[in-house]
Amino acid sequence: MKILVVDDSRVMRQIVIRTLRQAGHGGHDIVEAENGRQAVELVQTEAPDLVLSDWNMPEMTGIDALLTLRGAGSAVPFGFVTSEGSEEMRARAQQAGAAFLIAKPFTPEAFDEALSGVGLVAS
Amino acid sequence: MSILAPSALDLEALVTDMWASFVGAPELLLPAGPPADDAVLWSATVTVTGEWRGMVSVDLAEAAVLGVTRGMLGFGDDEEPDAASCTDAVGELVNVVGGNVKSLMPGPSTLSLPVVSRGAVEVPSEMEEASVLHLTWCEAPVRVRVLTTTTSS
Repeated sequence: MKILVVDDSRVMRQIVIRTLRQAGHGGHDIVEAENGRQAVELVQTEAPDLVLSDWNMPEMTGIDALLTLRGAGSAVPFGFVTSEGSEEMRARAQQAGAAFLIAKPFTPEAFDEALSGVGLVAS
Repeated sequence: MSILAPSALDLEALVTDMWASFVGAPELLLPAGPPADDAVLWSATVTVTGEWRGMVSVDLAEAAVLGVTRGMLGFGDDEEPDAASCTDAVGELVNVVGGNVKSLMPGPSTLSLPVVSRGAVEVPSEMEEASVLHLTWCEAPVRVRVLTTTTSS
């Protein structure tokens, strides 16, 4: 399986990848993007099985990337990993077609639960 | 007039969770007094605008910046992170605190991208300190502040 990790912070992308490993998902291929626009392009060229995206990013936000993808007919499973975990943000994410929202700070268990929910088994 | 902001206890719980999740170091964050007036601190800030308006800052001494960046990147003690990585790491700390503070306050509102500087950050004149957490980590000062405007009660 292939996972696209989207965050403007390189440090946070590293932490997400490390947490995936700690959650037992270290065997998936990882592709990285720095913003929503790059993520939209990589979904087309890399065909990931899951997108894990920050919300607040320069160039294009995560929610705009999701709306762009859905508008273009992509059904790729999409989850947010963001510091903004309010009910309002969760509702916006769900309405736009996100499968889940993991709030920062997070645990490996939160990742495993979210990934299992979209059918990605530990590998 | 009243101030609406998260309590120091809310901040402490959040910062402790964040440190455990991202920095992952065995050294504990401990309560401390305010940093010395002449301490050189890195400052990272985000602003929240909308129904609630405020600024969140995380200020750390250089030794803490280096330790946090090593922890977040999984570096060993002998590895020296570059300035860009330090800026990225400290910016992400304040982003997480700011996002959580935003979630605790009335919405809707918008969170800015982080701004990081080596040295004191300018506080807008209409803002005042609503909550502050003075800590020490590996004997280096760490300060977390929430500033906001006064609101009519």
